[in-house]
Amino acid sequence: MIELRGVCKSFGSKLAVDHLDLTVRPGELYAFLGPNGAGKTTTIKMICGLLRPSEGAVLVGGHPAESSEARRLLGYIPDQPFLYDKLTGREFLKFVVEMYGVPRSAGLDRIEELIDTFEMADFIDELCENYSQGMKQRVVFASALVHEPRVLVVDEPLVGLDPRSARIVKNMFVSMARGGAAVLMSIHLLAIAEELADTIGIIDHGRMLAVGSMADLRARAQANGSLEELFLKLTGGDALRTVSPVARARLETPS
Amino acid sequence: MSLALPQQIEATSEPPAGDTSARALRRLRWLRTRNAVASLAAESRLRVAMVLFCSAVFWFGLFFFFLGSFQFIAFYVDLANTIIEYLFSLFFLSLLAMLLFSTGIIVHSSLFHSSEAAYLLTTPAAADRVFAHKFFEAMVFSSWGFFLLGSPLMVAYGLTVKAPPGYYALFLVYLLSFVVIPGGLGAIVAVVVANVFPRRRKTVLALSILAAAGILGYFGLRIWRTPGEALSGDWVGGILNRLAFCQHPLWPSKWMSAGLLAAAKGDWPSAGYYLMILSSHAGLAYLAAAVIARDLYRRGYSRTQGGRSRRKRGGFAFFDAAFHRTFFFLSRPMRLLILKDLRIFLRDPAQWSQFLIFFGLLGFYFVNIPRLGYGAQSPYWRNLVSFLNLSVTALILSTFTSRFIFPLLSLEGRNFWVLGLLPLRREQILWGKFAFSTGISLISTEFLVILSDLMLKMSPWMILLHVGMIAVLCLGLSGISVGLGARLPNLRESDPSKIAAGFGGTFNLLVSLVFIFTIVTALAVPCHLYFAGQDYPESARFILSREGLRFWLTVAVAASLAIGAAATIIPLRVGIKAFQRMEF
Repeated sequence: MIELRGVCKSFGSKLAVDHLDLTVRPGELYAFLGPNGAGKTTTIKMICGLLRPSEGAVLVGGHPAESSEARRLLGYIPDQPFLYDKLTGREFLKFVVEMYGVPRSAGLDRIEELIDTFEMADFIDELCENYSQGMKQRVVFASALVHEPRVLVVDEPLVGLDPRSARIVKNMFVSMARGGAAVLMSIHLLAIAEELADTIGIIDHGRMLAVGSMADLRARAQANGSLEELFLKLTGGDALRTVSPVARARLETPS
Repeated sequence: MSLALPQQIEATSEPPAGDTSARALRRLRWLRTRNAVASLAAESRLRVAMVLFCSAVFWFGLFFFFLGSFQFIAFYVDLANTIIEYLFSLFFLSLLAMLLFSTGIIVHSSLFHSSEAAYLLTTPAAADRVFAHKFFEAMVFSSWGFFLLGSPLMVAYGLTVKAPPGYYALFLVYLLSFVVIPGGLGAIVAVVVANVFPRRRKTVLALSILAAAGILGYFGLRIWRTPGEALSGDWVGGILNRLAFCQHPLWPSKWMSAGLLAAAKGDWPSAGYYLMILSSHAGLAYLAAAVIARDLYRRGYSRTQGGRSRRKRGGFAFFDAAFHRTFFFLSRPMRLLILKDLRIFLRDPAQWSQFLIFFGLLGFYFVNIPRLGYGAQSPYWRNLVSFLNLSVTALILSTFTSRFIFPLLSLEGRNFWVLGLLPLRREQILWGKFAFSTGISLISTEFLVILSDLMLKMSPWMILLHVGMIAVLCLGLSGISVGLGARLPNLRESDPSKIAAGFGGTFNLLVSLVFIFTIVTALAVPCHLYFAGQDYPESARFILSREGLRFWLTVAVAASLAIGAAATIIPLRVGIKAFQRMEF
């Protein structure tokens, strides 16, 4: 459903993504992990057609990522979600329905269903400028799902959500994947990735370091610990410096 | 894992036809406008009333100014003749250039640097649909000032020449068609710049401003150097000859002026002919922009995104140390705040390049004053020119303080808590910004005013008066901009030009203009009357004697100092109070 083949993306002399291969099949929930600046968001933006790869091919549902056919299949939730301040949540969802060419009555039914799922009835008819971060996040989730995408790409999905909303979102990801959609989720919360993902891909300096199920990764890293330990081992950060030697000396010196 | 090409999957929803996304975007614009107006009417009635009142004052002020000017010209020449066509052509050509710049900048920013554009590009809407949506918004944003400036001119002209009623309806169609031409061209430039120079936006802008300033300076100088006695027949002929470039039949400004003059005369076939030329070119400009956007917008967007600058910054240690030593009398936190603002200012070429170009052009003109012969003129003319030079310097300074100083506090935006939590009194933050603004203003304007007066061979007393005046103006304009910037902040906007163009910025500019007008008038009138009496001794006793000048100038200086102190202290106090009450 999502297919990246030998994809490179450079910004001037900096190679942000380096010959990346990535596949997310229908029904698969893929957790995309990596340290800050590893190239996750750049990869996601190429899948959404916002960035063009310098080399290689990015396909969504078999269509080039930049094509409108690919975009119709795709639901995207960016790390910094966008809403129109001067629209209500319901007006925004109706706008999305119309933009995606969803038939009106089916779109309205779907909007009601999502308002109910994400528990938005209390605020959905207020202007978005008055929403809290969590409210905004829920409307953005609803807008990405309202046209029933076959491919869902999410960048840092749980930022700003309370535990109840986070649980709703997690359930939604799983049910979408079980329903046959391909879900690609970039996330820093390793416990969530461990809990939900069918496949985990770890990227650093634009290169895919490891990809597979939790068991595959353990076998490859020859370790039996948690995903956090695996991640740190693979990204070379196992020798963590929690306190610098200078700071330690200062802290240990009696005043 | 199979690497075979996956089968193509068809979307469940119907592919949105072009008109479906166009309808959705039209509806979006309507809903946003309706909701914005409704919330303004519900929550900010005073603000709306103020904006409407200021716009009405501005419109009627311009209307009466244009009406008076046309009636004055009509007293000497037939208003339907060549001079008016030249004036209109020049006016619309200037606006053409300004709209080209402003629309180009706004389109570039809204197509390539707005979160809305990023969102819309992930929807199935075609690139040219997204372009059309953002182009429409940019046109409204960049050309409202053109209608505010152009409509009183057209109405005043129509009333002076007793134009038929059809003229008033037609000039609106002319204005609408006209703005699309520079808008379309500006959009083409914006899309091409994003594709060709994706990381050199500010450099391209600075070079364009420099080129425009050079062209303007060249033509300005040519007109100034027109031979012959001022206002003589030869001189007017020479001026028209030098302005002949604006009458070129391929300029849209020429079609505009010729068509409007024909409409005012009731010559409908000619008016219709020019309107057709203008509107067909407007359509062509938009079509060309849309086609270029269809093919290059996504490519350009991709090229302008991502990739942080890896340039290492530094080398300020010596400058910082020198600054701390020079301004040892200021508290250290205030010095650090000033240094922070100064560093941001120096690292943003859009700020200092405009400042440099405008003040550079003024400096160039002042240096050339001896060539223009003002130095050899009577004291009356030299005094008049010196005050005019001072006024222009102050007016440019007010645009600088409105554009760059007023948004300073708003720009702290979501990081406001950083300033709020600093271990210093909040008022010190405002005083720091005030000192930063005053420092830059004083250094640049004092130099220019002294240069102008030396070139005009003014007396030491007049130089001293002007130096004092511009110092009062610098302090007042800085106080107004910093104080109002704290009182009317726009913490949601990150674009300083939009903050400056908003309600607070416009109000700040208006207050600054009133302040300049008051100070300059108070001091210029006694001097003007005195020197007018010097040139015409027979009427001197009716005007102002030397003793009279001394008395009235003393009164005017005292009044200016009082007004200057009020303009500095009152807005700052208001701003400090608001800033202290502000919650983060």
